[in-house]
Amino acid sequence: MSLLEYALIGGILYGIFFALVGIGLNLIFGVMRMINIAHGQFVLLGGYGAFLLSARLGLNPIFGVLLAIAGAIVVGLPLYYAVVPRLQASRDPEMLSFILFFGIAQMIDAILVAVFGADQRSLPQDALGSGNLSALGQSFPDAWWVAVAMSLLVTAALYLYFTRTRLGFATRAIIANRDEALATGIDVQRVSALSFVIGLALAGIAGVFVPYLLGSISPDIGNELTTTSFAVIIIGSLGNPLGTIIGGLVFGIGTLFMQTFLPSWSNMVPYALLVIIVLLRPAGLLGRAVRVT
Amino acid sequence: MTVSRPTWLVAAAVIIFAGLAAIGVYRPAHAAAPPSVIKIGTLYASSGTFAVASQGQYQGLQYWASLVNKDGGVYVKAFNKKIPVKIIAYDDQSSTTTATTLYNQLITQDKVDVLIADFGSVLTSVAIPLAAEHHMLLIDPTGSGANFFTKKTDYLADVSIPSSAVWPVPLAQFILAQKLKRVAILYDSNDFDASQAETLKSVLGQGGVTPVYYNGVPTTESNYAVLLHTIAATHPDAVLEFGYAPNDIAFLRDLTSSGLHFNMTFTIFPGQLISLITKNVGAKALAYTYTYPTPPLVRYPHVTTGMNTAEFVQAFTAANKVAPNFLNAAGYNNGLIVGEMLARAPQFTQLDFHSALMAMSGSTTTLLGAFKINENGAQLGELLPVAQIVPEGTANKFVVVYPQDKATGKAVYPAPQQ
Amino acid sequence: MNETLPPEPNRLRTIVPSALTLAAIALAFIVAPHLYGNRSLLFSMMTFVALAQGLNLLYGFTGYLPFGYVGFFGTGAYATSLLVLHTHVPAIACVALGGICTVIVAIILGPLLRLAGAYFAIASLAASQILYNIFSNQDLASVTGGPYGLKIDQVYNPTASYFTMLAIALLATGLAAHFRFSRFGMALRAMNQDPTSASMAGIDVVRQRLVVWLISAGVAGLAGGAYAWNLSVFYPDAVFTLQISVFAIVFALFGGVGTVLGPVIGAVVLYAIYNTVGISAPQYFEFIYGLLIVVLVLFLPNGLMSLLTRRGVRVI
Repeated sequence: MSLLEYALIGGILYGIFFALVGIGLNLIFGVMRMINIAHGQFVLLGGYGAFLLSARLGLNPIFGVLLAIAGAIVVGLPLYYAVVPRLQASRDPEMLSFILFFGIAQMIDAILVAVFGADQRSLPQDALGSGNLSALGQSFPDAWWVAVAMSLLVTAALYLYFTRTRLGFATRAIIANRDEALATGIDVQRVSALSFVIGLALAGIAGVFVPYLLGSISPDIGNELTTTSFAVIIIGSLGNPLGTIIGGLVFGIGTLFMQTFLPSWSNMVPYALLVIIVLLRPAGLLGRAVRVT
Repeated sequence: MTVSRPTWLVAAAVIIFAGLAAIGVYRPAHAAAPPSVIKIGTLYASSGTFAVASQGQYQGLQYWASLVNKDGGVYVKAFNKKIPVKIIAYDDQSSTTTATTLYNQLITQDKVDVLIADFGSVLTSVAIPLAAEHHMLLIDPTGSGANFFTKKTDYLADVSIPSSAVWPVPLAQFILAQKLKRVAILYDSNDFDASQAETLKSVLGQGGVTPVYYNGVPTTESNYAVLLHTIAATHPDAVLEFGYAPNDIAFLRDLTSSGLHFNMTFTIFPGQLISLITKNVGAKALAYTYTYPTPPLVRYPHVTTGMNTAEFVQAFTAANKVAPNFLNAAGYNNGLIVGEMLARAPQFTQLDFHSALMAMSGSTTTLLGAFKINENGAQLGELLPVAQIVPEGTANKFVVVYPQDKATGKAVYPAPQQ
Repeated sequence: MNETLPPEPNRLRTIVPSALTLAAIALAFIVAPHLYGNRSLLFSMMTFVALAQGLNLLYGFTGYLPFGYVGFFGTGAYATSLLVLHTHVPAIACVALGGICTVIVAIILGPLLRLAGAYFAIASLAASQILYNIFSNQDLASVTGGPYGLKIDQVYNPTASYFTMLAIALLATGLAAHFRFSRFGMALRAMNQDPTSASMAGIDVVRQRLVVWLISAGVAGLAGGAYAWNLSVFYPDAVFTLQISVFAIVFALFGGVGTVLGPVIGAVVLYAIYNTVGISAPQYFEFIYGLLIVVLVLFLPNGLMSLLTRRGVRVI
């Protein structure tokens, strides 16, 4: 049944890629308890950055990764200090962040339309490799493998950050319990700001690969990217960035299997999985209980 | 300290009313004498899913208006003089909720004389009951949903695109004429694409062909790798993908990188937005695929009103520094039809406008082809042929392959491996 | 253990302002069409008043924020329309029945209430997407119309549907007033602020929450039904778009949740601004609107009503 194998391998690859798309969102939520509903727009910024490098400067879009990191610092730091402290002083920062980032999403959408127009933009097909690579007899385009490699690299880097660096320890402490972390003298604001920037950078990096796996980018796909990312990270575990890979795998395999058998329902897969998993295991597949009574 | 609550409520109410009044309580004098300007109301989407197509259509209409005004205006038979036109347009951002209020604004506040809908079935749908309620003729440029045209109406006319119930007929006939038996159909789950797929399936069925693959995917589908492999497993003679531009782009790219090969591949939007698609998938990915060529790729040298295809392409390119696409032509066609309608209607009423359109049906040809509407408002003319995109040097050209009377060459089937 | 809750406040301070609020809304929307002809805009405004208020019932009084609130709106729209198409029940009854069907769906989705905070919010979003997928799916087209949408223009009645929506907006506002001033509402607020103590005080936290959830869903369902009736030709996207959820949330929060006037003022003011800017300056529109929302959250996070409560004005 080579169709099933194709869907399985493809689902794994696609899922690992989507973990990359979602991981930044998970980090930001875990550290700051903020719902960055503009996440999809930041992913798009990464994609458009790669487009600019490729179409205007003739560079390989992979350099978009560097641009995404630089952009995240330039945009993320001021954005953090402008909005987050005020938000956290308010009555319900979690839900207010939803509204705030909605406003930011609108603004980014407007800027993208103004600068790039509403047209679809793609990246050169062969820039990340023009052939196909196989696993277990099923072959997929080089671009997929590069995206997967980047995703695994990023996850590994994040793992090392969390387990080997002081900032990483501090970040984990804040994710586990913000107040306790504050009490033990961790500079929560600084670490949070850094995490915010990392989260945006991860989104931008994922954006470089989105045109390869989704065909093209245009300003209007931002919201769909956000809702899918939410589904992926909750399936894996909200607040546990490393768990995003699991969420991605479940999402990828589920979606591609559905495409093989009942394609018109394939969009429903992430949401159905989310509801089922969250009702069976309320903190996601990997999480510890994060909820109150 | 408490402030009297009624005071706050009254203050709030006053603010509400003031705000609403500020939005625009515009009441022009009722036109018994000829108006100084013909107000044409329309919507466009500057952002969102329909932005690209909608703006193209809007541009075409604006172009028509500029030409007509340079000439002193459009001739209005009811007043026996030329009157300049003014386009009043609002941005609905591809949202139906916004579109509804904006259509209503055009009708009740701006009191437009002619109402033209936005691009596509989705943004046209909300205008239909509104127009009927206010007894206004709705000029529907590109809303082809067969659902709209199920009963007799004086308030709806599809002017620039064939109804979805007739559109795919030439394609089905081509497939039957080529004696292809194994047909795979992949379509988006929306009115535009699904109704085409249904029509195609039923016409093929009448010719004794049942699809070997017939599935809908969400309109936002962007990854076709698995779908293509599943389709390939059915060994099709022809693969037809009905979607919008982003779907076609993703489909063609995934097809190229998958290494699969089909004898015939069909998508819709290369025929409408060839430069956008080529920019995103590359000329090689399009080679030997099939599509519906649309004007100006299909030429109509003999027209009864307005410029013919060649003249339009030349004039539009000169004025706008870029070659026109189908949406531009459709927008221009909207203007032409409106102009012809005003030139024929004996009185300046919406019902007379509709009668004029009915009279034009069957005897009017424009750069989009023959104008033929029925009493339900459906467009039965302006049919699109089938073309194959054939490489010519490093670029591509269109070869119309069906029907015979419009064909400019023979189809290369099966498509050669690249 | 009634001693743990304060006595119900003076009638004059509760019934009179509530009644005045309802009267003002009714008056405004009855008179407005005579001053300003764009009924669709007024109708949409009332829809958002109803939705913001319905959302306020859940979020303002239990702290649960349903990102997927539009799921109930769409369900109501579809239930109403299918009833119109397949039965001979008069349209207004179909709207009411549509609301009831939505409550049934809400019962099925009840288990989501076990989740907290962001989990609940996003799970409700997922639920609304699932509902959208079911209603718009090609495979179910023969039942739900699928991608082709629904057409119920045989009962098209802009005036009747306008007043039905007004009634729904008034109902939602009345419910908010009831929640605000009744013992039920106070129990809710206690539950919201300190669930552990509340349950120790004998308040059945889980049951109360479920009741509010069902009421809130019912309001959205009724609004959806009336909206479908008014629109009468629609595709699934029109009644399941996320924009509706987001607007309801933003309007309610902007006005001030937990109050009665807040969502009303928020919906009216923000929606009016949305249309004014949209009509006059569309090219900058999305940017301005986004900026406005950012500024509001940063400087007025507790909503417009907080401008008054800060100064010691009692706001209902």
